[in-house]
Amino acid sequence: MNQPDRSFVSRMLHIDRRFIFVLIALAVLIPLLNPINLPIVISREVKSVYDYMESLPEGSVFLLSMDFDPASKPEVYPQAVSLLRHAFKKNLKVIGMTLIVTGTGMAEEVMATVAEEMGKQNGKDYVFLGWRPGASAVILSMGQDLIGTFPQDHYGTPMADLPVMQQMKTLRDVDYAVSLAAGFPGIDEWYIYGKDKYQFELGGGSTAVMAPGLYPRLRGGQINGLIGGLRGAAEYEMLLDRSGKAMAGMDAQSATHFVIIVLVILCNVFYLISRRRKRV
Amino acid sequence: MVFLKRQLPLVVTFCMGVVFALQYYVPHPNSELLLTEASNWMIIIGGFALILGLVSLIQLHMHRIQRNVEGWGYSAVLFVAMFAMVVAGIWAGGENVDSDRTLTGYGWAYSYAMVPLQGTMFSLLAFFVASAAYRAFRARTKEAALLLVSAILMMWGRVPLGEYLWAFSGDIAQWMLNVINSSVRRAILIGISLGVVALSIKIIFGIERTYLGGGKE
Repeated sequence: MNQPDRSFVSRMLHIDRRFIFVLIALAVLIPLLNPINLPIVISREVKSVYDYMESLPEGSVFLLSMDFDPASKPEVYPQAVSLLRHAFKKNLKVIGMTLIVTGTGMAEEVMATVAEEMGKQNGKDYVFLGWRPGASAVILSMGQDLIGTFPQDHYGTPMADLPVMQQMKTLRDVDYAVSLAAGFPGIDEWYIYGKDKYQFELGGGSTAVMAPGLYPRLRGGQINGLIGGLRGAAEYEMLLDRSGKAMAGMDAQSATHFVIIVLVILCNVFYLISRRRKRV
Repeated sequence: MVFLKRQLPLVVTFCMGVVFALQYYVPHPNSELLLTEASNWMIIIGGFALILGLVSLIQLHMHRIQRNVEGWGYSAVLFVAMFAMVVAGIWAGGENVDSDRTLTGYGWAYSYAMVPLQGTMFSLLAFFVASAAYRAFRARTKEAALLLVSAILMMWGRVPLGEYLWAFSGDIAQWMLNVINSSVRRAILIGISLGVVALSIKIIFGIERTYLGGGKE
């Protein structure tokens, strides 16, 4: 009868996963409590979004579609904060909305909070459209007739009465749109049903998991820039010279990545040793 | 009945498919008006899809409770939570905050229950990904070893600590994203797009009929 392998290597290969959970928890908690603020290198894709926002003249129309749900808040919400701060600082006319119903509360909160912080007035400097069902159909409909799609803003004010909506008829009047997405509907839909037909410049922001899938759109020029995950949000905060929750979270992300790297290397060392022993 | 169940949907699909495929290339005002009307219809249908989803969800969980399926208590929790949220929403007039920007009951439930709960579910990924990586990310073959090295380089190069320890790691990660990842993703995208075009043509011409239910005839 075969005896179970109780060697150190075997025990390490079958380590209790709660030990790994504790390591990850410590890797997140310790840097959050004691940040060291390592320098962050700015990537070209985030700089492109920033530069385009900088190039917009005062009074240009900036549309921010916050297409994310609460699950993605830690990564994408800081992107929304930074983009809104930038837009309000540049005195752009801001249109906020969401294509995800569960994201409506967060989107409204971020618009109202940042606008108040920057001294902007609802209806005059910005408008929050809220949510409509239909996903890609909403984008198409906005391209055809924006006020027809959203006859009232989120608070029930008729859109035609809002000073910020004067001269705004369709998506063709938007100078720059950014979709902050965490899945469907998101950047792909804004490109296919929006930019491709109505010819406005489009940028993107997404969770880190989604970002690699958007690189073909980025390289093909279908989106002019991409803010990917917490790292992208931290880069944008650096560009604005205003640290926020994203920069605070980057040390924790560094530590977590390195814990996983060390775990993967260790697991492979143990695996190779066990394989060699079996051969012998 | 066969006409209503089979022929009519096929005729409607064919007509709408051909008309809206052509509409994209016709910038005439009437063509644009048609698209405006159609997109409004799609938004209305989207609203009905929500009701359909809600009915389906209620049916599924009622069934679980009636049959005492294992874990039926979770279905009961779903009904209690749904009912509480609907009542809070109606009470607050669908608003998260009142005129003083104070949270309503609905806003409170959203901000202090739904947002943290969904965030918690997503954050659990970090723990399970680390555990799964430890158990499954092993260099069993050359291909697996290549994937392993790529993953380590990517994780190293995408965080400030990695770039601080080895400045070139950021460039390597960026190159992998821009060149290797982009080309592979592009190939997949082209494949998917061709598949979508082929499937659309099959649906428009009535070759693919599974959407009508009942399988192929």
